[in-house]
Amino acid sequence: MLKRKITLSITLPLIVIAFYLISFYWNEWFCITMPRHQLVQLPSMFFLGIILALCFPKLFINDISWSIATLIFIMASLIFWMLPHSIDYAVINNSFNRLMHINMLLDGFLLVLVFRKIFFELKILFLGMITAMLLASGITLSVFNILLCSSFTIEQQKQTGHSLIIIATAMFVFTAFIFFRTLKQQSKS
Amino acid sequence: MKKFLIPILSLIICTTVIWKWTFGFNDFTIFSYTLTKAGKIPREFPKINLVDQNGKVFNIENKQKYILINFVYLNCPNVCHKVNNKLEEIYHLIDTNIVPSQLEFVTVSFDVKNDNIERIEKYRSYFGNNIDGWTFALPYQVNEKDFQQFLKSIGIWAYKMPESNVINHSIYLFLISPENKIIKTFDPARETNAFIIEQIEQCLKEK
Repeated sequence: MLKRKITLSITLPLIVIAFYLISFYWNEWFCITMPRHQLVQLPSMFFLGIILALCFPKLFINDISWSIATLIFIMASLIFWMLPHSIDYAVINNSFNRLMHINMLLDGFLLVLVFRKIFFELKILFLGMITAMLLASGITLSVFNILLCSSFTIEQQKQTGHSLIIIATAMFVFTAFIFFRTLKQQSKS
Repeated sequence: MKKFLIPILSLIICTTVIWKWTFGFNDFTIFSYTLTKAGKIPREFPKINLVDQNGKVFNIENKQKYILINFVYLNCPNVCHKVNNKLEEIYHLIDTNIVPSQLEFVTVSFDVKNDNIERIEKYRSYFGNNIDGWTFALPYQVNEKDFQQFLKSIGIWAYKMPESNVINHSIYLFLISPENKIIKTFDPARETNAFIIEQIEQCLKEK
């Protein structure tokens, strides 16, 4: 119990400091280019949410209907923040940008709570959908020769698209690895 | 029943938010969003005074003709010149009985800080001498804030990128009727010259 309290007293302030640095202190730097904004700042917020949830191992969402509702919310949030209109608005409007950060943090936090109790099949389905979404966004950004986000340049748009394709491929490999490894474990047992 | 209700409710709420944000899954970029938000056509073209390449002050309303108007800035590295090249092609493809007697072209620069009459006059000369009825203009005695408001009200999004002179903006063309109403909008990145000309000629015939 004491060990947990010490861990929490170290981790929580670190998360708050990281949030402050990413969302406030370095925000202008992140907003200058699309890859920084979309590939570094947003995922950082998401991972901060995951780390925050890991600090509370006893928290989980047990009810299947609430778990699915939460996964729908996370998926819709990710779609929403990938829309060129949302990205543009976040860059020009600080409050909207902060809402984006808090929402991403919440997404990461809730994902861990749902994943602690949900069926394996649903986890794989969700990861597969995220991978497909990242791949579709990556292809769209890298193929379009029309500027989609007014806050950035076409070169940055294409660069972000290419990076998203690479990330989606890595996620696909990761998901497939988890899927086959668990299948193997289940067949053994 | 409750087991289904919560996820369905979540799906409905999330879909509604995205549906509202994109005007019914139609406008995914800030360019098309601004255009749709400006309102349905036909709608009034807001009053603004412009000054042409000869220093003459005019406004669109007083022209009493069909006007095909677009917005550019001369320091644009790429897209504005492509749009103007397309306009040049359209200008030369349209029946000479129509331009300039019934239809005029107006290209307005929205870079009020860097563009001036000398620059737009020189820029116009790149398109040749035989372009009667194609005016290049600047906003006249309008401050930047009001001009931004004017652009938004017609459906043009313009964003000046920090630490550079680049202005990312919408490239739509607007057809304005002699009654000073926007009656058509065109996207030169997607629509062909033939389509744009056909639509313009159809509007003129309906007159």
